[in-house]
Amino acid sequence: MAATLTANAPARPRKLLASRRTRVGILYALPVVVYLLVLFVYPILSTLFLSLKNTDGSLTLHWYVDALTGINLSVLLTTVRISAETALFSLVFGFVLANAISRLKPLWAGVAMLIVVVPHFISALVRTYGWIILLGDKGLVNDTLAKLWVPGAPFQLLYNEIGVVIGTTSVMLPYTVLLLYSVMRGVDRRLLAAAASMGAGRVTIFRRVYLPLVAPGLASAGLLSFILSLGYYITPALMGGPDQTMIASLINQQVMKQNQWNGAAAEGVVLLLLTFAGLLLVKVVTSFGASRKKRSAS
Amino acid sequence: MMELRRTLTGRIALTAIATVILLFLALPIVVILVTSFSNNAFAAFPPDSWTLGWYKALFADGSKWPAALSLSAFVAALSTVFSLIIGVTAATALTRSELPLRSAVYALVLGPLLIPQIVTALGLFLLFEPASMLGSPIAIALGHTVLASPIAVLILVATLRGIDERLEDAAASMGAGRLTIARRITFPLAAPGMIAAAIFSFITSFDEFYISQFLSSVDTVTLPVQIYNSLTFDIDPSVTAISAILIAFAILALALVALVRWLGSGRQDSLLSVENTAGIAAPGGEAV
Repeated sequence: MAATLTANAPARPRKLLASRRTRVGILYALPVVVYLLVLFVYPILSTLFLSLKNTDGSLTLHWYVDALTGINLSVLLTTVRISAETALFSLVFGFVLANAISRLKPLWAGVAMLIVVVPHFISALVRTYGWIILLGDKGLVNDTLAKLWVPGAPFQLLYNEIGVVIGTTSVMLPYTVLLLYSVMRGVDRRLLAAAASMGAGRVTIFRRVYLPLVAPGLASAGLLSFILSLGYYITPALMGGPDQTMIASLINQQVMKQNQWNGAAAEGVVLLLLTFAGLLLVKVVTSFGASRKKRSAS
Repeated sequence: MMELRRTLTGRIALTAIATVILLFLALPIVVILVTSFSNNAFAAFPPDSWTLGWYKALFADGSKWPAALSLSAFVAALSTVFSLIIGVTAATALTRSELPLRSAVYALVLGPLLIPQIVTALGLFLLFEPASMLGSPIAIALGHTVLASPIAVLILVATLRGIDERLEDAAASMGAGRLTIARRITFPLAAPGMIAAAIFSFITSFDEFYISQFLSSVDTVTLPVQIYNSLTFDIDPSVTAISAILIAFAILALALVALVRWLGSGRQDSLLSVENTAGIAAPGGEAV
């Protein structure tokens, strides 16, 4: 009797309290939800509708046919190619740098992290401009190469794909390093020590223990870098030539110069779908990594 | 913990490669800072002679930069206010209440950070064009808030998670009303996080390019759009000086965030005798 009393007594107020807390939660969540529904979700849905609408108002897929044929298709392929190159270089450089930072003494690791984090908060436009100054015919890079008697210097490093990929990689790299650093901090170092104690060499430990542990994190960092590169516009437009036109530039041109909103909307939806496909892959990789971690821990 | 044995050459090689990558990150920034004081803006690095001419040219008569700078500052200030209002309410809902569909709200908040900004910008263009609001600073600020408010929400969620709810419960048990608790307990503890959220919202709006470009008109050109135009159309060497100012501004803002965090870090510990194990959750740690 006494037991049921004590068990029941707090239940009612708690339930009341819970419903009050729910009401408060909904009330406080309203501003962000309403704001983003009106100024983010609704505009994107109207972009979707516009991309399916003919000039006379009937439904059509011909904007998508336009978006996926001829010159527009090659722009799409260029976008995927440059994003893949950017993600690959960011991943390789990011891996080396994050790995080095995670082994440094705290003071030096702090300094190195500062050099990574500060550029992340400086506008991509400004950093791109810095590269334009550096990579010109008489810029610091070519100047140094010429002084070192490197054959062929000065090289053409601007207005081609080399320039674009240098620029986009440098814009993306801080983000990739931050992602990878948190992945590496999550590795249980005792597993490496255990492998070493059982006689595994450094290469074996790296290949058989470390790499499998960080692989899901690496894959999702690479995918995220790829996704975020897809929408780049400033760097390819300023550092590339006509062959480096990316889909964002195309959208911009169609809206600003050709007044072709339906076409731009279709391009936008294609970009959106590519992004969603990438995010879905990230999700798959992350849950795969989580299940593997659980197995290795047990 | 056993550290793996490494050879000396391996260590030197690793340090060298890491240094090169760090240079890769730092060089474009350093080169702008140095070139902005150089007498010849387009050649020779390091410069032969120094000048403050580009900075003076920024504020000379007929220069487009002061207008762009003040427009960007105005838009960023508005956007910061909107983002803080949205951020504080949303973070309260996400950390201090039972919220149905919590993960859906999280997904909605993360959406603008993951979806290509050009798509968001295009959508906003299609929204504001029929309302003939193109060129309106308010429209640009509303658009920037779409990108800045999620950042404010994530920072404030982390901040509120880091505040021990027992302090609020203790105040309530002693008869403090909800407003008093918010004013006397939660707000002072959350102040560093709110300042950080404000600074990051401001930077996000101040540096934003895509939305500004789609929503701007001939008369309302924000600073990033003006820089982009100078780099594509009319070569104006004072763009180096304005870029250097932007860099200095970003570094200053980050230093301010670090300072506020450092000043605020001791506060809660002095209030709590028990060791606070809650820690500060990583922004967005719960999501994706």
